[in-house]
Amino acid sequence: MSDFTPLGVLEEQVLVAVLRTRGEAYGMEVRREIERVTGRDLAIGAVYATLDRLEQKGLLGSKRTFSDGPSRRLFDVRPKGARALAETRAMRERLWQGVSVNGLLALARG
Amino acid sequence: MHSRQKLAMAILRALLPRAERDEVIADIAAEHASIESAHGTGAAQRWLWWQAVRSAPALLGWSWWRNWSGFEPRANAYRPGGPMLRTWISDARYATRRLRARPTYTILAMLTLALGIGGTTAVFGVARPLVFDPLPYAHADEVVTFWMPYWWTEEEFVYLRDKYTGFQSVGAQRPGDVTLRFGDGPTRLLPGRTVTAELFDVLGARPMLGRGFNAGDDAPGGEPVAVISYGLWQELGGQPSIVGQRLTLDGTPRTVIGVMPRGFWYPDPSTRIWLTKQLDPTSRNGSWELVGRVAPGVDPRNMQPHVDHLMSVLKDRFQYSIKGDKTQNGKMIPIRETLLGAMRPAVVATFVAMGLILLIACANVAALMLGQVEGRSSELAVRAALGASRRRLTQQLVVEALLVGVGAAVIGGALAAAGFRFLASSLPIGAWRENATFDWTMFVVALAVAIGAVLLVVLVPAISLWRGDIRGTMSSARMGGIQGRGGRLEQGLVVAQVALAMLIVSGAALLVRSVSKLYAINPGVETSSVSVLDILASSDETDAARRQKIEEVNAALAELPGVRATAATGKLPLRGKGNSFGITVEGAESQERTTTYFRIVTRGYFDAMGIKLRDGRTFDISDRQSDSGGVVVINEALAKKYFPGENPIGRRVRGGFTGSWEIIGVVADVSEGDLTDDPEPARYYSAEQVDWFGTSATLVARTNRPEDAARLLDSMRRTVNRVAPGFAIQEATTMSRVLDTAVGPAKQVMMLLALLSTLAMVLGAIGIYGVISHFAARRKRDWAIRVALGLPTSRVLTNIVGQGASLVALGILVGVIGTIALARLLTSFLYEVGTLDPIALATASLVLLLLGIAAAFIPAHRASTVDPALVLREQ
Repeated sequence: MSDFTPLGVLEEQVLVAVLRTRGEAYGMEVRREIERVTGRDLAIGAVYATLDRLEQKGLLGSKRTFSDGPSRRLFDVRPKGARALAETRAMRERLWQGVSVNGLLALARG
Repeated sequence: MHSRQKLAMAILRALLPRAERDEVIADIAAEHASIESAHGTGAAQRWLWWQAVRSAPALLGWSWWRNWSGFEPRANAYRPGGPMLRTWISDARYATRRLRARPTYTILAMLTLALGIGGTTAVFGVARPLVFDPLPYAHADEVVTFWMPYWWTEEEFVYLRDKYTGFQSVGAQRPGDVTLRFGDGPTRLLPGRTVTAELFDVLGARPMLGRGFNAGDDAPGGEPVAVISYGLWQELGGQPSIVGQRLTLDGTPRTVIGVMPRGFWYPDPSTRIWLTKQLDPTSRNGSWELVGRVAPGVDPRNMQPHVDHLMSVLKDRFQYSIKGDKTQNGKMIPIRETLLGAMRPAVVATFVAMGLILLIACANVAALMLGQVEGRSSELAVRAALGASRRRLTQQLVVEALLVGVGAAVIGGALAAAGFRFLASSLPIGAWRENATFDWTMFVVALAVAIGAVLLVVLVPAISLWRGDIRGTMSSARMGGIQGRGGRLEQGLVVAQVALAMLIVSGAALLVRSVSKLYAINPGVETSSVSVLDILASSDETDAARRQKIEEVNAALAELPGVRATAATGKLPLRGKGNSFGITVEGAESQERTTTYFRIVTRGYFDAMGIKLRDGRTFDISDRQSDSGGVVVINEALAKKYFPGENPIGRRVRGGFTGSWEIIGVVADVSEGDLTDDPEPARYYSAEQVDWFGTSATLVARTNRPEDAARLLDSMRRTVNRVAPGFAIQEATTMSRVLDTAVGPAKQVMMLLALLSTLAMVLGAIGIYGVISHFAARRKRDWAIRVALGLPTSRVLTNIVGQGASLVALGILVGVIGTIALARLLTSFLYEVGTLDPIALATASLVLLLLGIAAAFIPAHRASTVDPALVLREQ
């Protein structure tokens, strides 16, 4: 738990989306992935700003592709990013321990 | 692609960092196309716009952050170009670094500018309701007040009511302060106006609750009604049910029929209540002011035919004395002029002075910046040689100046907030203080002024940059700048600063002279140790009962510790003219009928006010009430006018009260009306003997020590509340404050200008010091060579000081010319001092010259004590 600062929601989503897109993680693809999973619209500007911030913090790295098609900035998750994701998830699980989903649904039904 | 879509794309394009622009735009276009094929053009278009709008803040923040932090992703290495705003942002960073590295310069520049900005902003806040805000009346330019050689009477108003031409309606108002008892609280005095039924129609103002006055309200038999202000409504609980309720005003109940909206005021913001009275068509009681709204289609600036008509109507019906002739010189005055005219000169004078300070501050900062630019000339030259364009160098200057400006605006806004109360209380704007509010718009003004100021400031170094031969500087820089003549611009700035300071200082000097002359007038009364309490008795008591009560209070006040003498009077000296009545001298009935001032006082009045007895005696306990007259005390002016070369003691006069009145004493003249009036005849009656007192009276108490005069007021207040709970206390003050008020706005404006001139002089001295030290530093090598060749160091000193003095002298000369043009602003405050008073101008010049020499001496001394060997080796 030493230098771990919890990730923001968008940061977490972006990091996970980079993992899920596996090697095809450029800005628009990351946006599409998050939209696909969460079902909510996301502005491309917000995605790029977050990607940059994560790279500057050292959680993501980026490099250029020079293959066929347009040159793109592709992202990959760095060890520090993987650690942060794992910690965030662990924290969330601890937080949810003892809360039963069934009970929650019963509550939601009122 | 649709043109609207193109626009969205262009926005996105503009906001994206250049290194990644093409790829991101390509991705967006691809996504757009796929949405279009799947969901149709409309959906795709909505999506694109949504992306553009929602991305904009994030992209802007992103650009800024990248440039500020210098972060550039590894993937973008070797890619050309940077984001938009790049140069501006990097200039801001550079300027911040530079400013931080030169804290003295930064702080000096910001503080100097902040003083000017803060002051101007504060004055703007005070002046706004007076100069800029519209009057709270519908089409205020159609409302005019009638000419007034003397107040209008009820008789005149009622007579004229159906005889106006060119007016839609005409109303009248006069002062009508009333006492209010509400709940268990003490009786309080409400600033109010007695008005006629038409008044609110004339002003075009509607109550927000209830109704305004109707035609019958001021007719005989009309119900007593009142309209209250929003402020009073709030104080009384702010319930709409107030309409229809009764308030006890002046001891009698009145029905509240309406509440005026917030922001409405007439004739000044302190007025809390408007009342009607039953107009008496035969009453010659005065003090009404007539206001009218011109009829549709009539030009309010061309009312003369209607005025002429009115004057002829008046001529047919009334006889006027020469002094108060309303059938001559009639004219209509725009209401703005009537309400605000008197205060404007003071506000405008302060505004101008403040603007001058701002200009001085600008000149100062410009000189500072110029020094910075010249100090950096080699750096600039190197950068120019490496390819920096002049445009870019100027842009850097502008960014730096803007940063200084923003800093100055923040400090200035804070200064304005702090100085605002002071300004509002020290400007002679009376009840307007209530309208002067400080709010966030002031900070907007501060920022606007600051940006305007820095753009003005940056003009100077920018000009020098564009004019100068940057590349040439490099070669000369190595030489140590022996050619260094130049600096014209800087010198010009010093001259301008001194000239501006001269304007303010000489304005202050003029007012100091004028005010000291006013204070030198002897008002004839003791001013240092007299406490003054104005009371208002309700009018529902009989005259005699009221008189009795006043005497009781007076006796109770005399018991207070530290009091030497007490008295009551109907009219205090130095506070306007008061009542006059006709006088006839027995044995000289053929004399022309004239009037004199007429004062009713209690027995100890002359003692309490320190009015000297010249002859005979004053009132004493033997002067009892009688039906056939009594005794009267006259002043020297009356004795001189009616009894030239005779002894008035023992003679009898008639007029005013019935019977014949024996003159028992002559007292010294006092300033009956205004301080600057010549002595005028006045006679004094004993309240006890006439058994009468008006509803408003002034209690005076002479104390043993001057410092007790103010201290006594609280116990006086308590005594009045205890002995006569029905009296409302209108004002508690001292005679020295009364004198200050009589001296008038001149003193307040003088104090402000004195303060501002100190500010101007400090700024001016900083400017002279800065420019001269820069001048001395630039020619250091020059001086060193000359000293090495045998020039005595004292010559260095005199030369540099002389340089400073000649600049200051030139500035003074320009300033004097400016003063001649601007001093007209101050004429209304000047008493027996011309606008070109040589003493004031000479004093101001001398002060500035000495200050300039002193400011130049420091750098001169420093330059003259430098070891030439060191200087020459250094370069």
